Amino acid sequence: MIKKDLFAEPGLKQITVWGRGVYENKEARDVVVSLTEAAALEGKYVQAWENYVDLPDRIYVPVRAYGKISSNPIESKYVYENEAPDIVVLTEETLVKGVDILAGIKPNATLIINSKRAPEYLFKFIKSNTENLAKIVTIDANNLSTSVITLSGAEGATDASGIGKGIGAPLAAAIVKATGIVSFNNLLDIIVNKSAARKAYDQAIIANVHDLIKTYA
Amino acid sequence: MAIAYEKIPFAGTVKSPQKENEGMITGNWRTRRPILDAEKCMECQLCWISCPDSCVNLMTETSPITFNLKYCKGCGLCAEMCPVGAISLVPELDFEE
Repeated sequence: MIKKDLFAEPGLKQITVWGRGVYENKEARDVVVSLTEAAALEGKYVQAWENYVDLPDRIYVPVRAYGKISSNPIESKYVYENEAPDIVVLTEETLVKGVDILAGIKPNATLIINSKRAPEYLFKFIKSNTENLAKIVTIDANNLSTSVITLSGAEGATDASGIGKGIGAPLAAAIVKATGIVSFNNLLDIIVNKSAARKAYDQAIIANVHDLIKTYA
Repeated sequence: MAIAYEKIPFAGTVKSPQKENEGMITGNWRTRRPILDAEKCMECQLCWISCPDSCVNLMTETSPITFNLKYCKGCGLCAEMCPVGAISLVPELDFEE
């Protein structure tokens, strides 16, 4: 009996972005595209794609966009859903309620939420799979930029609207601040809305989940 | 929907007396929750006829109108249609439940 996980990929980081259909479909995709493009500049192996099962043309439906960043060639490149994400991003705060956003997260996972509410308030709504969650990051991206509402680029079509023009840019900057998954300068080379990203890099609030549990216990 | 193939009704439709479809629960699509001000409500039932998901229940015991929040998507059509402004949309995270 082999105890070692034969399919483990130590260098692989999985990013899952949850958004709302139509309104944030492009923004959810922009977060992973900007991060993976920035990682590609650093010579990493990357993948970015959208969930094939979700319905991005239905207003407010939860939709997912995925990214993989690895220092080694990605062996699981044909696995079309992120089963064990390291980073979970919500482009809209209400997704903490009623959606199992943290399913399968790896230890020391980070959750980034686009919200002006406090991390401890949002954490109360998450009912399951919080054991492996290490950090909650909040950033009021709606205040820094406006969401680009378009289906251009959805489901594999050409995206004519530019990467990181709306709330995707500040969210990606908050991810970089909290996790350091790519260098911030490389991210700025990719995204369009650079001023919002710089502000988000300063304003993102990082809360330690361990401390939040202590204050509520 | 994990239903045996033989038990699926013709054309995948839901039988007519049934009001809910467990295979398509849309409550988690909602970002804003409709709240009724019962004093303003004049029971014209415009919200009931305009709700695309049939989530408005009429003439319940406690209130002229209640909302089926298990399926309400928070589209806001009821608040838009209400002629007296009795329905307001409140951000979903303002509610603990």
